[in-house]
Amino acid sequence: MRNTFARYGLAVLLLCWPKIFSFAQSTKPDSIKTEQLEEVVVTATRNERTMGALPMPVTLISKAQIKTMGSLRLNDVLTEQTGLVVVPQVNGLGNGIQMQGFNPDYTLILMDGEPIIGRYTGSLELSRLTVGNIKQIEIVKGPSSSLYGSDALAGVINIITERPSGKKGSFSSRYGTNKTLDLTGDLSLANDKVGFYAFANRYSTDGFDLSPENFGKTVSPFVNYTFGTKVTFKVINSLDVSLAGRLFNEVQDYNYDVSSNGKSTRSVGDGRVKDWNFNPVLTYRLSSRAKATARLYTTRYATNSIYTLLKTSGADSTSTIDSFTQTFTRPEVNFEYFFNEKHFSTIGAGQTLESVSTPRYGDEKKNQQTLYGFVQHEWLPIKELTLIGGVRFDKNTIYGSQLSPKFSARFRLNDIISLKGSFGVGFKSPDFRQLYLNFFNQAGGGYSVLGSEVVKEKLSQFEALGQIRSYLFDPALIGKLNAETSTAINLGLHADFSKKLKMDFNLFRNDVNNLIEYQIVALTTSNQNIYSYRNIKQAVMQGLEANFVFAYNHKFSSSVGYQLLFAKDKNVDELIDKGEIFWRDPVTLVTQRLKSSEYFGLYNRSRHLGNFKIMYHNKEQGIEGSIRVIYRGKFGLGGIDGNIQGETVPPSDRNGNGIQDSYDSFVKGYALVNVSLAKQLRQLRVQGGIDNLFNYTDPVNISNLQGRILYLSLNVKFVKSTNN
Amino acid sequence: MKMFRTLLFLSLISLLTLSGCGDDTPVNSTVVAATYKDLNADYAPLVLNPAGPPTRPAQKNKYTFFNFATGAIIANTDSATTKWDIGFRSTSIIFNSGTSGPGAAGVIVQKDIFDGVTVAPTAGYTTDNYNKVTKTGTFAISTSPFVDGVTTTTNNWWLNSGTSTSTIITPIAGRVFLIKTADGKYAKMEILSYYKGAPAVVNNLTDLDRYYTFRYVYQGDGTTKLN
Repeated sequence: MRNTFARYGLAVLLLCWPKIFSFAQSTKPDSIKTEQLEEVVVTATRNERTMGALPMPVTLISKAQIKTMGSLRLNDVLTEQTGLVVVPQVNGLGNGIQMQGFNPDYTLILMDGEPIIGRYTGSLELSRLTVGNIKQIEIVKGPSSSLYGSDALAGVINIITERPSGKKGSFSSRYGTNKTLDLTGDLSLANDKVGFYAFANRYSTDGFDLSPENFGKTVSPFVNYTFGTKVTFKVINSLDVSLAGRLFNEVQDYNYDVSSNGKSTRSVGDGRVKDWNFNPVLTYRLSSRAKATARLYTTRYATNSIYTLLKTSGADSTSTIDSFTQTFTRPEVNFEYFFNEKHFSTIGAGQTLESVSTPRYGDEKKNQQTLYGFVQHEWLPIKELTLIGGVRFDKNTIYGSQLSPKFSARFRLNDIISLKGSFGVGFKSPDFRQLYLNFFNQAGGGYSVLGSEVVKEKLSQFEALGQIRSYLFDPALIGKLNAETSTAINLGLHADFSKKLKMDFNLFRNDVNNLIEYQIVALTTSNQNIYSYRNIKQAVMQGLEANFVFAYNHKFSSSVGYQLLFAKDKNVDELIDKGEIFWRDPVTLVTQRLKSSEYFGLYNRSRHLGNFKIMYHNKEQGIEGSIRVIYRGKFGLGGIDGNIQGETVPPSDRNGNGIQDSYDSFVKGYALVNVSLAKQLRQLRVQGGIDNLFNYTDPVNISNLQGRILYLSLNVKFVKSTNN
Repeated sequence: MKMFRTLLFLSLISLLTLSGCGDDTPVNSTVVAATYKDLNADYAPLVLNPAGPPTRPAQKNKYTFFNFATGAIIANTDSATTKWDIGFRSTSIIFNSGTSGPGAAGVIVQKDIFDGVTVAPTAGYTTDNYNKVTKTGTFAISTSPFVDGVTTTTNNWWLNSGTSTSTIITPIAGRVFLIKTADGKYAKMEILSYYKGAPAVVNNLTDLDRYYTFRYVYQGDGTTKLN
């Protein structure tokens, strides 16, 4: 049936649900690979599994879907998925992904199972990643897999890149609004023994400007290059060697006004980003039942920015150099064993070595090491039931040892319905910034932010100079920071009514403890605030995700996705129950007690997210098209220190309680409409499209939402032999 | 700068005009219920500095004293007397007692609705206890903002609804100040705004800060009845 599904061209849908595979097939990963390329998922178990057989909530985005959307960068793709929001970060530094209500810091972004680094401000800039060499994207929600680290409290996004396969190549170009030009080429040369794959991408854009009244652009012009290569070699029949490497280089020109305290200063300069990674993997098949894998991953990310603030009247210009260099190396070995048709185990161990050096964290390089081990076992007591249990042990040089158990189960009720459930515990130790930041912001009013490892020493220096006016926080608690922890439960139902209709429901609940927040700890004699970090919040993020796919006929299909989210601070809920939270009408100045139902929840979270897509695919005539509507419901903003141009973002709380309630102001909900149309003419594919058809923008509140984008792309394919 | 001076002048005029003309609606002869508008708590225009935080060179660093019985501002020269009950300067609030004055004033901050508090407690009032020389001890009311999750020994009355670099001072809703006056009478007070004219949406670049608007009920007969 899945073959029929593929023949109907439904692979372009948001989600494809394959029919459930029998266990006998899933124990032979190689046969699956050749038979069912598009629907095999590796993220959740690190072995190839069909999506339906996995007990965790998994979303798969295929290359065909990405092509239909006409996307160029990873953020373009993710923003159209149910339950995911691409959110701008504080000060516009990077756009990250919000998943199940979690901030971007809590979602792990992997490429072929290895983490992408460069979380300068906590979130990863998704536009760094081109989609040109992506084979598929797998999204696993919740901390239910023990194989990738315990810090992915929200989940894992794994980008699976192309592997050498056959002799073929392609070249694509896309040009559109804002002089955005994307050039992509790839080449694959492979036979049964040796494989070679190379990829190159150049992306350039003139940026965009949401507020023409201010000098400079919202996003300045930049150009970047990505090169990737993968070499595979079958040394002997049972030994595979794979070498993968990636290089990324970006240069951005700055020329804009920075406003601070109502005064603007011209800033010019440039920003450079360079990152590379190298990933050799050895896979050895000891027998038909056992497989051992040794992998090494090493990567480096460096950014270097020079800003020159031009003074208006005669005074000297000041230049600021901001740099950030991170390295990450991880050797890992793992061993997989098939006991029999009912039992399968994975056991592994490794070490992570990380370093960061930036003037913001002091002069010396900061290091952190983690030793880890994990065990994951799959058990099929009866044909209808799959159980996966796992545990991960991490030993961090700063944060000691943590044990995080995971458990998931899938039960096939009948041919139509199957039930899934997963439970996982994750923990995230404070990052380098929260530990070592040593930042004094002169321009922004002279405040300092100090990481938990340096705050005590710095405060005693201030104190020795007699510069501390008062402590605003219990000194005994200053500098004490615990790892953030989360307990997640996901309960899902999957229903497959013939080929016509597929439904997926997933209820989720994440209980998060020890969330780390900024904290004013002291005030200097010149009234400057000193901030550090502390564990403040206990949050709960729960809701429902639902996806429906309906195929009208061989050509037309549509899908609907929806996420309902309640993301709340538990302390606030408790105070509301005690009757200690009020709101004051800003006009009448009359105060009332806030009811539990009037508490909207955490900032920057929409209660409703949705998407509706219509896909058309006429294989005979080579025509495909799509209309996609992406909706984000209203949300509140708070604690944001201005957008990318330093404009003050008006906070939503305006009634004296510091929380988002139904009487506060909101950023309006909005829907984006994207359309695309493509025609295949032999080897040539011509595609045109419009993103954000109705040109919706909100310059102050949503600085990453650019206006209407028109584009045209051409793609040529060369295939020499199709042995795959 | 000129505009600021004009505004300051205007605000002083309006202060003089407004003093004592709150909307008095006594339930009985001994009770005063009023709203005091735009009490000037050492307003001075901000001056931006190229390096470092903005300053207020024109500020006097003096408290503005208030008497609940008369609803009037008391001259700062009377700071050593019991004529005043409460003093305001920027976000700092003091009471005429302890380290701040010779009176018997004190405060309890209760999380409640203003109209819902009808009886003042007779005990439990906190007084100022801050030693200027040794810089130890605390005031009854903190000058710092309330921050989520932080418990301090002193009462916070405001929160920052702006950003870390651009503060907007918002009185926390539902904080009723139960007050014992300098001469031992009872009153209750609720701070409504920190900006001139109590604007519904504060623009901290254009609205003048350090102007308190508050409502209060004062019981003149010495009993604890507050309605």
